[in-house]
Amino acid sequence: MPIEMTDVERLAQILERSGVDAIEIEEPGLSLKLVVEKSARMAASPTPAAAAGPATDHSVLAKANVAGHFLAAHPWRDKPFVAPGQRIEAGAIVGLVKIGLLYAPIVAPAAGTVDAVIAETGATVGYGTPIARIRPLAESNPIN
Amino acid sequence: MIEILSVTGPASVQDLGRFDQYRFGVGTSGAMDDVALRVGNIVLGNDENAAGIEIPMTPFKLRFGRDMAFALTGAGVEAEIAGRAIPPWWRLHARAGDILNIKAMSCGARSYLTVSGGIDVPVVLGSRSTQFRGEFGGLHGRPLLPGDSLPCTASTTTIGELGIEPADITLARSNAAADETIVRVVIAGEYDAFDAATQELFWSSSWKITPQSNRYGYRLQGPAVKPKAPIEKRSHGIVPGVIQIPPNGQPIIQMRDAQTSGGYPKIATVIRADLWRVGQARLGGRLRFEQTAYADALAAEDGMSAYLDRLRTNVRLVEEIRTCR
Repeated sequence: MPIEMTDVERLAQILERSGVDAIEIEEPGLSLKLVVEKSARMAASPTPAAAAGPATDHSVLAKANVAGHFLAAHPWRDKPFVAPGQRIEAGAIVGLVKIGLLYAPIVAPAAGTVDAVIAETGATVGYGTPIARIRPLAESNPIN
Repeated sequence: MIEILSVTGPASVQDLGRFDQYRFGVGTSGAMDDVALRVGNIVLGNDENAAGIEIPMTPFKLRFGRDMAFALTGAGVEAEIAGRAIPPWWRLHARAGDILNIKAMSCGARSYLTVSGGIDVPVVLGSRSTQFRGEFGGLHGRPLLPGDSLPCTASTTTIGELGIEPADITLARSNAAADETIVRVVIAGEYDAFDAATQELFWSSSWKITPQSNRYGYRLQGPAVKPKAPIEKRSHGIVPGVIQIPPNGQPIIQMRDAQTSGGYPKIATVIRADLWRVGQARLGGRLRFEQTAYADALAAEDGMSAYLDRLRTNVRLVEEIRTCR
């Protein structure tokens, strides 16, 4: 079934209204991805991002950049990629998003100490879903 | 270019194998776990038949001579690049000078290193696989040694990190046990030369994989399985996967470096879709045979093709999502 431009517009409106960041539709021979521009939404409806914590908090979030199911540990490993209190480098893997047969890594945007792993294994995550909260080291510069 | 720094056991360059020279007595060689090699090549955008390195023992260490994407598939290994841990079944990018250190193998028997563009050793008789018996193919027809330099055609295009669900999770069989590899077999030419009780013994036994098991064949240990009367056959054509019963009644599974002919009676043959499971079964581990029909063996191959198709589609989709951003 081909997707028409009108369908895309309608989907975009639904995303906008429902506060969903992104949607990905996959069918044989067809894939569609829509991402809502965050800043636009913030301007339109100033809902505070609760997951980001209090405004005074300087912690940074490792976020999913693709939709799928979150895995805190590799299925072949007992230990999760990171645990609270652990020191990690920028770019360290904090978890995986399983999409079909693939695992997309979620990486730490900055070096620091893991405060909490927010997402739960098996949970459905989407583009921008917070996965882990990291207290950055004072001297570190976020890579993004 | 890749420089081998340290190697344990007979690591070798392998593609999917050499299939056109069988009638001249040239065995197939090729990756013992063809699924792992294919998957590594698929995630790198390579031809599935591109040559990689089969690593049967650790530690194994190499240095990348230039920036290139690579993947590790097959056995579960503890590996590091530039001091950073690499998860199992992973594709990533190496920088020139980076050292890949495969420290230990926690499950499975062979790890596969594939690189973007493939290992560019010369094609000999239609394949880049190392033929140990004939001492040709691969790198100088022999296992890799410290100091070896492997030519690569690697493109320097940067591609993102990506994991793949290990094949033994995706392709797990419902009757799988943690301590035993179960492989499907079809009965072979001399099956009827064994009486019913002996046939039952063959099916019901949990066969131990002896240390005399390698790329040539797996020698198994268990109760003696002997034919009703001794069988003397002239040497005839055999293929990887054939399970022979020598006079001592202890089965031998012929593997990728097997001779193309043999005279021992054949009780069964491991189906092609399960041969990789044997290739990943460890020395000292246990194997059990499950009888399957020829039609089901073909269906299992279709299932394997469907799995690889699905993987290709998934990889394309994820790359597209990433490029969109």
